Amino acid sequence: MIIELIAFGLILTACLAIQLDEAVYAVFSLACFFLCTVLLYAFNGADFAAIFTFAMGAGTISLLLLAGGILSDKPEGSKPLRSLLTAVLAAVVLTVPAILLSAGIIIPRFSFNLPFEHTLWGLRAMDILLQGLVMLSVAIGIAIILHEKHGGEKA
Amino acid sequence: MEYIILSAILMGIGIYGLLSKRHLLKVLISIELIAVAASMNFVTLSAQANKALGETLLILAFSTDTCVTAIVLATMIYISRKYGTSDLTKLAELEEKGEASKS
Repeated sequence: MIIELIAFGLILTACLAIQLDEAVYAVFSLACFFLCTVLLYAFNGADFAAIFTFAMGAGTISLLLLAGGILSDKPEGSKPLRSLLTAVLAAVVLTVPAILLSAGIIIPRFSFNLPFEHTLWGLRAMDILLQGLVMLSVAIGIAIILHEKHGGEKA
Repeated sequence: MEYIILSAILMGIGIYGLLSKRHLLKVLISIELIAVAASMNFVTLSAQANKALGETLLILAFSTDTCVTAIVLATMIYISRKYGTSDLTKLAELEEKGEASKS
């Protein structure tokens, strides 16, 4: 039952994050979405994933709140109640297949004796490589933007 | 609970937001939803199999995703301040006007 409620919360907050017109409200919905994700991971025994998602989600939400305050503008002719009701209705409809197709009873697990640290240590090379690739691609993107800007100013 | 169905629904919501919304922040939120939906598969399936590989992959992917989100947000704020709008349609119109004036 709890898992079904968490699933409904996930879908509802995702729909609200997309549908709400105000950027700050959408970010708050995304924060609730991250909370539901943390609960889902915790109930499945993935404690490390839950804690990490909570930490990363807090940082992401703080950045998005700052950006939402800067980027938000009052939408013209907005109907907040209508969009809210549409999002809630869509969430209820989308939750039905997720709940009806569920199988079995969830038994809470405790993540004792999981070789997490060994797995993380073993994959450190891939972690460093992936982060290096991301930094390289971001640096290339910034270089291209600056080159275009410099070329535009010359023209 | 069939978590694959749940993550597919969440990914569908994210893709809908990515295709239908024109505000820059909504696009970024949609991308975040897609990323969380995809990583949810790894974590839940590995937890059911009592292995830690899915959690490890979540940590690797999520840390990278957060860095990319921060850089994309900085770019969005720069674009919004420079052009005075966060709407993708208006930004495309501005770009067309700029190309037309150059030609």
